[in-house]
This record gives sequence, structure tokens and C-alpha cells, in this order.
Amino acid sequence: MIRNTRKKRVALVSALVAAGAMVLSTLPAQAAENGVTATTIKLGISSPKTGSAGLAYGKVPGAMKAYFDYINANGGVNGRKITLVSKDDKYLPTLAATQTTNLVLNDKVFALVGALGTSTHAKAYTAAALAKNGVPDLFVNTGFSGFANTAKYPTTFTVLPSYAMEAKIMAKFIKDNATLAPQASFLIAQDDEFGIDGVGGFKAAGHTFAAAPNLYPAGGLTSALAEGALTKLSAVPGKPVLVLFGTTDSTAIILKAAEKLSLTSKFTFIAGSVGGDANTLLALGVKSTTIDGVIAASFFPDAKDETDEYVKQFMQINMNYNKGVTFDNIVLQGMNSAMLTVQALRAAGKNLTRAGLISAIETKGSTFASAGLVPLNYSATSHIGYNGYYFGQLNAKGELKPFGGSLALYTTDSTAGAVVASTYKRPAMPKNGIPNN
Amino acid sequence: MKTTFVKKGLVALVSSALVAAFTVAAPSAARAADLTCTTASTKVETCTGVDGNGAKFEIRMPSNFNGTLYVYSHGIRYNVNLPAIPVVAPAGALVNKEPEVAPSALVATALLKQGYALAGSGATTQGWNLEEGVDGALQVMQIAETKYPKVSKVVAWGSSLGGLTAQALAEQYSGAVDAAAPMCLADSAQAEITMAGDFLWGMKNFFNPAIKGSGYSAGQAGYVEMLTDLGTVLNTLLALQTAIATNPVAPAWPATSTVPDSLKVIPVRSAVLLLGLVSGISTQSNTYDASSGPAGALETSFGLAISPALAVLENGAQAAVLAVIANYDMEVRAGGVVYDNSKTNFAARLGDDAQTFNAALSGTTAITGMVGYLQYLAPKVTADEAAVAKLNSMYQLQGKISVPTITLAATADHITPAGAVTYLNNQYNASVSAGTASAGMLLNIWNKPAETYTQFAASGAGITPTTPTNGTGHCNYTTSQILTVAKLAATAAKTGKLPSTSAVKAAIKNDANLFIDPNFTPALLKFRQ
Repeated sequence: MIRNTRKKRVALVSALVAAGAMVLSTLPAQAAENGVTATTIKLGISSPKTGSAGLAYGKVPGAMKAYFDYINANGGVNGRKITLVSKDDKYLPTLAATQTTNLVLNDKVFALVGALGTSTHAKAYTAAALAKNGVPDLFVNTGFSGFANTAKYPTTFTVLPSYAMEAKIMAKFIKDNATLAPQASFLIAQDDEFGIDGVGGFKAAGHTFAAAPNLYPAGGLTSALAEGALTKLSAVPGKPVLVLFGTTDSTAIILKAAEKLSLTSKFTFIAGSVGGDANTLLALGVKSTTIDGVIAASFFPDAKDETDEYVKQFMQINMNYNKGVTFDNIVLQGMNSAMLTVQALRAAGKNLTRAGLISAIETKGSTFASAGLVPLNYSATSHIGYNGYYFGQLNAKGELKPFGGSLALYTTDSTAGAVVASTYKRPAMPKNGIPNN
Repeated sequence: MKTTFVKKGLVALVSSALVAAFTVAAPSAARAADLTCTTASTKVETCTGVDGNGAKFEIRMPSNFNGTLYVYSHGIRYNVNLPAIPVVAPAGALVNKEPEVAPSALVATALLKQGYALAGSGATTQGWNLEEGVDGALQVMQIAETKYPKVSKVVAWGSSLGGLTAQALAEQYSGAVDAAAPMCLADSAQAEITMAGDFLWGMKNFFNPAIKGSGYSAGQAGYVEMLTDLGTVLNTLLALQTAIATNPVAPAWPATSTVPDSLKVIPVRSAVLLLGLVSGISTQSNTYDASSGPAGALETSFGLAISPALAVLENGAQAAVLAVIANYDMEVRAGGVVYDNSKTNFAARLGDDAQTFNAALSGTTAITGMVGYLQYLAPKVTADEAAVAKLNSMYQLQGKISVPTITLAATADHITPAGAVTYLNNQYNASVSAGTASAGMLLNIWNKPAETYTQFAASGAGITPTTPTNGTGHCNYTTSQILTVAKLAATAAKTGKLPSTSAVKAAIKNDANLFIDPNFTPALLKFRQ
């Protein structure tokens, strides 16, 4: 059975393969890119549209699609219309991995946009071999500092500031506030990379809590646990500062526990940016009177602030292209990420390639127009988006107003860098909300 | 979450695992003169005989023979007789040394009808007998070629250990075959026993120290210890199942557990999941997709936190039973303890899964506690060096591939994880770089389950499907999928090269569970990481 011709055949096959590779390499790169034609660009998003996370973030895909539809109606990007394939991952890691794989292999999207979550997207990134496939992974909604590892996630660009940044800035906010600083402060946080990043940030900032952090598993905070924690802390003299470093549903459980125990005025609640969305809190049954006065971190204008040019423009687009959907902070975030995406596609040029898109964000991303009130941090060495926060106070209407009446922006990094006041002025909204970069 | 899983799950899951794990086949050879041939009304001549090792073999030759012969190697089988054991062997089981010529009768019939000849060998000694498997396949191949000079092309293929056998045959006898098709490829004996053994060792230390798990005595005493272990493992699994069915959110630890009380405040489902993750057992199983939840309050949290644990329990039940039987076999074969976790770094084993499954593992503090217990408090097992050396003296895959080779692997195979193919790919790439293998000769076809598939009863319990979920389970391929791979391999054998990407895509386009992606890289088995 050992055939003399085997070596010859192998050599011939090798030569043919090599020749084929040469032919392929001479073709326009665009021809080899999935999801791009002369007239279309296909993008994909895996995010929660149903389930508990869908309640808060289910509007993101629709908001992004609405903005893309608006851009398409105005000529698209370099003559190409954008389509968005949206998959529901319910905020479940295994499903996120499957859906992302489907987007890449079956739907053959050019790039992914707007994914949500740390555990979900970390698993999806590996399962779908995004790095090996070179799939741009744009504007992921997570603050996990681990995504800053460009060796591990070379194609990922996150949009949120890191949780460590948030904690550091929060620590400075407490320290600099004459009312809050003297009070004992406590941390109730998710017992995962979210909370751990936060604990690390507070530690890096030199903030000392009055007790060890009260940690609970993600999704594992019950009313009973919250009531127990608040009851215990109610014995602390004064008006303790309670930092809530978790998702909005956890914030709601704690605030409702405070309502039940008549302790809403006992504490000063400070919610992180992820857990402080007023609309979601109200939807989860928190009383408006309880929300009134809660301090929350943000880097966006409030979605109800129609004096903000970005809010105003996005509201208009939402009314026309996302009919029936109430404009809120989530819609604002979705449209903002879509606008960043359009600018990235424009920056990558007419000869659109995956590598070119990644390079365009690295070189030009920090100059993109966006609703964010703090700088974008993209560069060849940083794939983290925004790098700062301000603090506001919710009122009974659910509006976030700058704390103390004036906007005080801070920026920092995820490690030992100082927290500094920022004088950043964001770029003006492009005319009619259509990027011209 | 009530009793469906308890009543049906253990029986269905464990027994199907054993059937799957222990019924895929092994070989040996003889001279053509020893052949006994008969021709059935189906116009297929069937020849049987005994090879040079004393193993039975079988060849089936259709009257419309097209020149291509498939030589099939089956998977691992029991190497000991088993008395009637509930779930594992309800009617008892005798050692089976019969040859198999194809993965199933349906596949055999289809291939014969199309003019392909089939051959396969049984082995004189069952269990992890790679060497005799390779030799048996080689012998029956040569016997068939002698008997039927019209054989012009040979495809070596096999399932599980048989996949490893086929691959080892193709690598060691590069001119003997024209193509190879290892399916549900097994990694090395040490890699496989580490996976199953890790789960079994974890069960012992988390849930029931009465499990022996390794270091079985010599002779009849060891045999009895192995049988006793099977019963202990099954009872422990049943206790875990009952606990989770009773209270899926916060199930209690089994009464047999001796872990500190500080660990017992953690829902035991998290401990089950942790064992699966550190062992490398899939978090998707026949019943549970790690995503779906029953309608109602638990819909999301079930998919997030409960379903992955139930999947590991379903898969781990089979892995643990396999570990007992296979570990016993390997210890007897190698003359000492072969499982070793004395140098295992459990935190590293968990890796990014600590983040991915953080909620299901009950948070970072719980993870730290469970991993710390395994790392610092649970007694470790140290293997006998000579026994391990003997185990590893069997052929280890080199990736020295010189003929078209097509793998088929399921992403949620819990007995031979798809990471075994990753290892083959790595070995192959290294061999190509070293100039000891031909480039462009290895194609991977992957088999994945649907996005979601768990069905729930009105009670909220997961319903074990009557037809095993494709993409999960061990060597759980459809006849169509197997035939697709077989035909692609036959074509490759004729042309001497892999089919084109477009040809492969065309061949699998109607099967939503199959895909190809040269960049898809399942995690290596934990032993390899």
C-alpha cells in the first residue's frame, strides 16, 4: 500500500496550495472581508434583549439600529448601507458565546458592536475566536479592566470607563465632600470582577471603609440579605455613606429594603454608573421619593436634558427611527455607540478591512465626536474608551443633576494614576448628527 | 426541578454514557487462509477470522466494490465482566471482543450499498489497548488487500479510542492508508484519565470520602473495590441530584460530605460546577444547555446559575463512572496508580472560568474557599512513576500527517472533549514547521448543539430528550454526519488532498450543527494546559 507517487503528489499539492495563497494575497483585501460589499456593511450585536438584564439594556440594539437607519437614509458610510444583525444572549455566558459564534460564522458579520457584560463577552470572545479571526469588537459595554489587556483581547474596544477608574474617582468625590467625608462609609458590592475591580480601585485611591466590603454573588442578592445588611448598618451613628457597586437590580433590592425598614434617609446612597439608572430603578419598583437624593456616577449627560445638543439630536432620531420607544439613558448610550461606530467606519476609509478599522480607532478614536462628557482614551496602547466621571444627584423625576449644581469632571486610569479634575470639552455634535470625520 | 431528573436522569445519562463510551470498537489480524467467507442475499461477502494476535476481525465486501476500503477502529470497552449493577449494567455485562466494521449498522449498510468495503478488528484484551488496536487494524487491512486485490484506497477511521487508534495507525504507517478520519478523537490515556479522574477525586473529597477512586488492590480484591466504588459513586450522584431537585437555588451538601461547615454554606450545585470546570467537563449536556430556564421567576437565573451545574452533573456522572472503570483498567494494565494530581494548580485549572461562571459558582469568595480546600486541605494522589511510564509508552500523537485527515468532534463531548483535536492540530502544526508532516492535510469539522435546547416540564424540571442532543454526548453523531465525513475522507483518499473549503461547506450546508472554522480552537484538555 505504500505508494511511490505519494511524495510527488504531496509536492504537487503543496505547490498548488502555495500558488493559491499567492493568488489570494493579490486580491483586494476588501474582497476577502466578510460582511462587506460594495454597497453594504453587516455588523452584529449579541446582547440581552430579554431576561432580567434585558429590562435595563434591551433597548441598546434598537437604538443602534435606529441610528444606523438614520445614517443609511443620509447616504450611509462611503456609499455603503449598514445592517445590524441582533442576537439575544439574555446576559448568559454560554448563550453569548453561541450567539457571537453564529454572528461570525453564520451571519458573517464584518464587526461586532455594543456587546454587554464581562462574563458574557469574555466567554464569547474566546469561543468565537475573535482574536484569531481578527473580528473588530467595538464599544463593548463593560468596565472590567481585564479587557484592557490588548494581548488577550487585541480586537476589543470597550466604551465604559473601567470599574477601577470609577472607584478611584468615587473615593476622591467622598474625600473632597465636606458632608460625606466625615461619615463612616461602607461598600456593598458584587462578588465578582466588577466588585473586585471596585474594591481594588478604592484601595488604590487610599479609601478606607469602616468595615470589610459586604460582597454578594452576582444575581445572588436577596431582599433578606439586603435587609440584614441595612439593619446592621443602621446602628452606625450619623448618616453613613453606602456605596453600592453592583447592577441596577441589586441597587433596587437595597433601596427597596431601605424603604421597607424606613431607612431611606438614614444613609447617603452612592450608586455606581452601572447601578444608578433611574428609569430602571423606577421600573423595578423603587419609589421616586427614595431615588430623590441618591448620588450616582455618570459620564453622559442626562437623557432628559434637552438642552444638551447630543441628547436633542438623538431624541429626534429616536422619534423618527425608533418609533414607540421612550428615549432614556440606555437609548442614549446605544445611539452614542452607533455614532462612534460610524465614525470608526468612516475613519477606516473606502477600502474597508477589519485590520483597517482597528487601526483607525487606535489612531483617530480619541478625536471622535461623542456625547460623553469625558475624553475617549483610544490609542495604539489603550482600547479603553472613556476615562472619567462626574457625580450627580437623582431627583424624584429620575433626572441626574450635577452634584452641587455644577459639573465637576474627573479623569484617571485603572491603576495608580492620580484622579485629576478635567477641563475636557467634548467635540460639537456633527451637523444633523451625521459624522463628517 | 422536581423528580424527572432524579427518576430518569441518572439512568438515562449514566447508562447512555457507558453505552457510548464502551461500545465504540478494537482490532487484530491473520492470514488470508484463515478466512471464513459467506455471501448473503445482500450481495455482500462477509469474511471473518482471527488475526496474528488472536483477535477476531471482519471484512465486508460488496459486489459493487468501488475500490475503497474503510478500516474502522472501535472505542474503549469494558475489560472486566460486570455483574448486574443498577444504572451501570442493569443486566450485567461480559467483556465484548467482537469486531466492528463501522460506527453503526446504518452507516455500514449505507456505505456497503454505495460500493465501499468495510473492515474492523476486535482485540484480545479490551480497555485502553491502543497498541493492539493499531496492530489489529493494520492486520485486517493487509488481509483485506490480500484477499481483494481490487482494493486501491484505504481510509482509516474510528471513534473515541478508535479515533486515536486510526490516527496513530496513519501516523505510524504513513504509506499504509490514503486518508484518515478520527471521530470524537481521544487524547492520550494520561490526558483522559486526568480529566475523568479529577472529577472523581473531586467527588470523593467534596462529597463522599468513601469513594476510593484510585490505588485499587491487586487481584480479586481490587475488582471488588472497583465494583464497590461504582455503587458509592452512584449513590453520591443520586444524593446530589436529589439535593438540587429539592432546592435548585440553594441545594444542601450530601450527608456524606466532610468538608468544613464554611464550605457547606455554598450551594452544592456550585461545588459540582467547580469540579466540572477544573476537570474540563462540558457545561452543556444532553438535557441542559447552560442557557435556558423554565418560564417563571427562575427563567434567567436557572440558565445562568443552575443549568451549567446540572449539565456538569449529567456529564460528570458518566465521567465519574468511566473514571472508576477505566482507572481500574489502567492501573491493572500499568501495574500501579496512574492518576496524579499532586502538582495540580486548581486556581490555574479554573482560569477564566472563575470569571465566566462567577455567578454560578456563587461569587469570588466562594470560589476562593472551594479552590483553597481542594488545593490545600484535600489529600492529593501521587501516581506510580513506573506505571505512568508504562502508560505513556503507548504511542503518543505526533501530528506527523502525510495523508488527508478529517476530524469530527463535538464541542460538548464530555468524554473526549474537542480539545483533543486542538492538541492534534498543535502537534500537526509543529510537525509541519519541523518538516515532518505535509502542509494542508488536516481538516476539522465541528459539531455543535443548537443555541438552546433544554425543554422543561410544567413542574420546571428539565426533560431528558428521547433522542440525544446532537453536539452533546460522546460520539453522538447522526448517521448523516458520519456518512458526510466518510465520503469526504473517501474522496480525499482518491485525490490525495483535502476537499476544498467550498466542497466541505457544500457537504455540510444542510446540517445546522456542523461547521468549519480554521480558527476555532477548543480548549485543550486540562492535562495539556
